[in-house]
Amino acid sequence: MSVAEIIDSAKSQGRTVLTEIESKEVLGEAGIPVAHAQLARTAKEAAQAAAGLGWPAVLKVVSPDVTHKSDVGGVRLGLGSAEEVETAFGEMVAAVKERQPDASIEGVAVQKMAPQGTEVIIGMSKDPQFGPVLMFGLGGILVEVLKDVAFRIVPLEPRDARQMVREIKGFPVLQGVRGQDPADLEALEKLILKLSEFIEAHPEIEELDLNPVFAYKDGCLAVDARIVVA
Amino acid sequence: MTDLIKRLDRAFNPKTVAVVGDKRAMGYMWLNCMSTFGGKVYSVQVDPDEIPGIEAMGVPNYKSVLEIPGEIDYVLCAVPRPVAPRIIADCVRKKVGAVALFTSGFAETETEEGIATQEQITQLAREGDLLLIGPNCMGVYNRRRGVRHSPDQPAGDAGSVGFISQSGTHCINFSLVGAVQGVKCSKTVSFGNAVILDAPDYLDYLAEDAETEVIAMYIEGVKDGRRFLGSLRRAARRKPVVVWKGGLTRAGARAVYSHTASLATAPAVWDAAMRQAGAVQTDSLDETIDAVKALVYARPTTGARMGLIAMTGGQSVVITDSFEREGLEVPLLTAASYEKLSGFFNIIGGSYRNPLDAGGTIGMGFLPGNLQKLFDILEEDGNVDAVAMEVGASFIARRLRQNPALLDSMVDILAAHRERSAKPFIAICHPGHVEDVMADIRSRLVERGIAVFGGFEAGARALRRAIGYWRFRAGLD
Repeated sequence: MSVAEIIDSAKSQGRTVLTEIESKEVLGEAGIPVAHAQLARTAKEAAQAAAGLGWPAVLKVVSPDVTHKSDVGGVRLGLGSAEEVETAFGEMVAAVKERQPDASIEGVAVQKMAPQGTEVIIGMSKDPQFGPVLMFGLGGILVEVLKDVAFRIVPLEPRDARQMVREIKGFPVLQGVRGQDPADLEALEKLILKLSEFIEAHPEIEELDLNPVFAYKDGCLAVDARIVVA
Repeated sequence: MTDLIKRLDRAFNPKTVAVVGDKRAMGYMWLNCMSTFGGKVYSVQVDPDEIPGIEAMGVPNYKSVLEIPGEIDYVLCAVPRPVAPRIIADCVRKKVGAVALFTSGFAETETEEGIATQEQITQLAREGDLLLIGPNCMGVYNRRRGVRHSPDQPAGDAGSVGFISQSGTHCINFSLVGAVQGVKCSKTVSFGNAVILDAPDYLDYLAEDAETEVIAMYIEGVKDGRRFLGSLRRAARRKPVVVWKGGLTRAGARAVYSHTASLATAPAVWDAAMRQAGAVQTDSLDETIDAVKALVYARPTTGARMGLIAMTGGQSVVITDSFEREGLEVPLLTAASYEKLSGFFNIIGGSYRNPLDAGGTIGMGFLPGNLQKLFDILEEDGNVDAVAMEVGASFIARRLRQNPALLDSMVDILAAHRERSAKPFIAICHPGHVEDVMADIRSRLVERGIAVFGGFEAGARALRRAIGYWRFRAGLD
């Protein structure tokens, strides 16, 4: 499906928030590296999907009503076999139903677990005067507590992406500390520029979050994604 | 040149000016402002009590804009609010170049009548394709043509710095305070409520204006951030643009809303926009003037390695701290420089590693031979990109009072060095206990085209900003 078709289909169901699967499909289409996810509605489907995508597998609940999946038991990592996936599926559905009874569950997103990289987040929100603004920061506690993030207004030039990645206080983390691999800065810059192009081409996108993006020695990968349309 | 820019050029360089509604109670301020204008000035006033005073100034008065013979390039209108729509309608019929509406009491009052009258004049101007500056503004200042918005502003000679301001006070202060420090304005505009012409229009114009080499602006808020950013981006790629933003704090944002009804922008977003555009950001009038001085008078450089000359040991330490705190470097000099310095530098009570604690060696600036040698060494030193010198007056004030001529040779050497040097040179002149002597030193240096700053921090910050701009232009940052 094209970007417009995916957005239209979500809107026809009365949704402005795209599911993780839809969001990733849209972003993948735009050339942004995403950890591909497949929708499974049953435990069996989930096990089949996992076998197709490769091990270890990750399951994440797909529900338009759930914003923070891990808070309601909606994320399971490192599943190594079809049996484990099937069991996890059942447990996850039960857990989400218990913690958020009103949530409608469409199924689970199955993906191959991405190897751990340096976590960064990249997001977009709209400023009333300047329009779409991109945000870049390190993932986890640094972004939440220290607000160590950099902003740029869309559209970005290569210079902007380069500066953005380097101006956060946590930049040394991306250069590799204590024996950790340095992050592929060029790949991160490329992702940021692609995202800027994508946002410019789709003014109907109101909000976008890639959280986290794993930055590796070579390349980077958006592991989770969320898009809100107008 | 687009059509709008051509039309703005006519308004900013008028040959004929009409002042509407000036009166004795204001000391005929607007006509006094135009007393330096070389072209034809007309007055429009219907009050029989006011007309004799106007005619006594030698200004022909008419009862209506429409009665004035010939074309009018620029109208300054200071009538009471209820009369404003009629004058605007007359200006439309007369096809004047532009109208600056000094009249206030519009949307900024947040009253029904103010808002309604603003809508009325906006519609009249829009339908009549009239260039309207303001309302609630001071209009245009063109130093060369002598069109002013304060009777204190200098006139007659050309300037090179444009200023665009959402505030009348800042606009006037920039031109007045700047003038004392060597900042000569080319054209400035106070644009008030910006119902027709807005900041991006003036930016586009000054970016195009050949006379304007540096643009500075005071801004409280933008209506269309993307349009503003587009104009700023284009302008900053042609010449330096210094942007002083008011209302970046929470309470400041509230004050901005009461002043110009502008909405706050998150400081981080504003900062991002400025970086992307390549604008130089400042936070006050002084910082804005300082940054402009560094951009106008110090040679462009993309290197940030300083050679520092101070008069005493204590000063050499803190001048170094100031520059390094601003992110500039204070490196060691080359071996060749040390070799030369060791030949004559007085190391009893002095040192020359960089900073150069040189007061003893150069006689506080009054030993021209050694001062010249220091300049030559720093000029040739490959580790140094820019030079800053403390011109200390506390210790020399008494001598200068007794013998003012002492200053001449120092000023000559500094001016000649600035002229000849390929590296930026700035002087720093701290306030002293004898302000008249300091003021004299400052103005003597300014006259010779040397950028003088009131403190190490101010000098360091201004130079860092200028270097930041030249690096942006060179695609280095």
